Amino acid sequence: MSQELAASAVHSTAEQHRVHVQVDLLAIPLVVLLFAAVFSFQFALLVGDWDYWIDWRDRRWWPLVTPLALTILPAVFGYFLWERLRLPLGATLTIIALTAAAWISRYLNFHLFANFPMNMVWPSAYIGLGLIVDCILLLTGSFFWTGLFGGFAFGVLLYPMNWPLLAPFQVPVEMHGTMLTVSDLMGFEYIRTAIPEYVRIIEQSTLRTFGEAVTPLTAVFAGFLNIMNFWFWTWIGYLGSKALWLRKIV
Amino acid sequence: MTTTVETPRATPDKPIRAPWKAFFGMLAFSAVVFTVYRIYQHETAFTFGLDYFNPEFATYWMSVLYAELAIEVLLGAAIVGYLWTTRDRHLDKITPAEELRRYLVLMSQLLLFGAIAYVVTSIYTESDAAWHQVTVRDTDFTPTHIGLFYFGVPVFILSVLTAFVYARTRIPAFASKVSLPFALLVAGPVMIMPNLGFNEWGHTFFYAEELFAAPIHWGFVLLGWATFAAGGLLVQILSRIVQLTQVIGSASAQQTDIQVEAAAKAELNAAA
Repeated sequence: MSQELAASAVHSTAEQHRVHVQVDLLAIPLVVLLFAAVFSFQFALLVGDWDYWIDWRDRRWWPLVTPLALTILPAVFGYFLWERLRLPLGATLTIIALTAAAWISRYLNFHLFANFPMNMVWPSAYIGLGLIVDCILLLTGSFFWTGLFGGFAFGVLLYPMNWPLLAPFQVPVEMHGTMLTVSDLMGFEYIRTAIPEYVRIIEQSTLRTFGEAVTPLTAVFAGFLNIMNFWFWTWIGYLGSKALWLRKIV
Repeated sequence: MTTTVETPRATPDKPIRAPWKAFFGMLAFSAVVFTVYRIYQHETAFTFGLDYFNPEFATYWMSVLYAELAIEVLLGAAIVGYLWTTRDRHLDKITPAEELRRYLVLMSQLLLFGAIAYVVTSIYTESDAAWHQVTVRDTDFTPTHIGLFYFGVPVFILSVLTAFVYARTRIPAFASKVSLPFALLVAGPVMIMPNLGFNEWGHTFFYAEELFAAPIHWGFVLLGWATFAAGGLLVQILSRIVQLTQVIGSASAQQTDIQVEAAAKAELNAAA
């Protein structure tokens, strides 16, 4: 084949530069759009309802499920961007793409199409988690340490990072003589087709609340799980970055 | 059959550029189609799309379903048929400049695929999520399903299939071998359709409500992860572009480049 003996298609460094600019103009938006597409898709189908609704962001499952699903793309494409291009941007860029796509979708679909107020359906804040992971990768240059510290931070810090935004929905209100939170009230007023029972149960300092330790306990557990989760998906990123050719399919 | 070669071929005198006019034209056309469809859905989904057994449902939504399926099949056959019948049968004779131009065409096709994939997997998918939060289905063909599964997903399958067939018929590396990452990138979206069959079967059989993160939806996630192979495809494309854009100073330097290239290819083949 001619390609094995190919001469160059350019004749000067200026021409080479022009071609590389063309490639950048195609490759960079492609990567960002794919991040937004894949992240939105998998996040909707793995976290979905937990992130759609304010009152669904509970303190047992939301802080556990979310970091496990949120880590996947930062780890996969973090490997690609760092190993192939030496860019410590994988986590931040993928999460920004997810966040932008989520805001557009919530406004167009949940607010304009289904008429839910934005106050009930705004996306959570995750960009800070991406920044932490990328900074650790930049400083250590190691996926081992990034998984150990960054993966753990993903699980531990998710709830505190969103706490200032969620706090107004945790203030108590009284309805028919019962004290409940604003989130609980939303759940009662806006019934959804698949809302689970554990979200609808109002906790009043019984044993199942575990003495208010549920959130930090869940966060630390999520952190430990997420260390292995991060390493696993980094390995998948290594596999996905392989430029494999097959002679034939069958 | 006579050999048809794309024109115009790039020459050293003509700057090598991506086909921006064609790209933005197709992007604008796609944007108009998806926006008009979305406006139609917005105006009629909650008025004429709530009851499958209502005659208005057939008028406003089933007619859309039948029309879009027919258009997609015809359009897909036409595009793939055109690319195949006009394939380049002398790939061993193309110049490096022409090969580079074709890589830029391929990347512009992939970029269009990326734009359509974003609209479908984010905006169109979550319109279905929003729909299911406020309605209980009485059919597999809800207005948002007709928009997502029978319009959006086929169109984004067609967009990546177009890029794949273009590469197979016009770019030497992709014509002589099968790019595993590219094949995965195509296979994932294609397999969404059979998985949709499983999903709808499950919903009509044992899973009436619509918890979006439910296990019955995880097959879609697995297929979406096929996109993780995009990194490998980019490595394949960019590696070749780097080779094609080396500034060669002398015959000895060129010989060195060829040796490096051959060694890299041998390594890749060994890995494959």
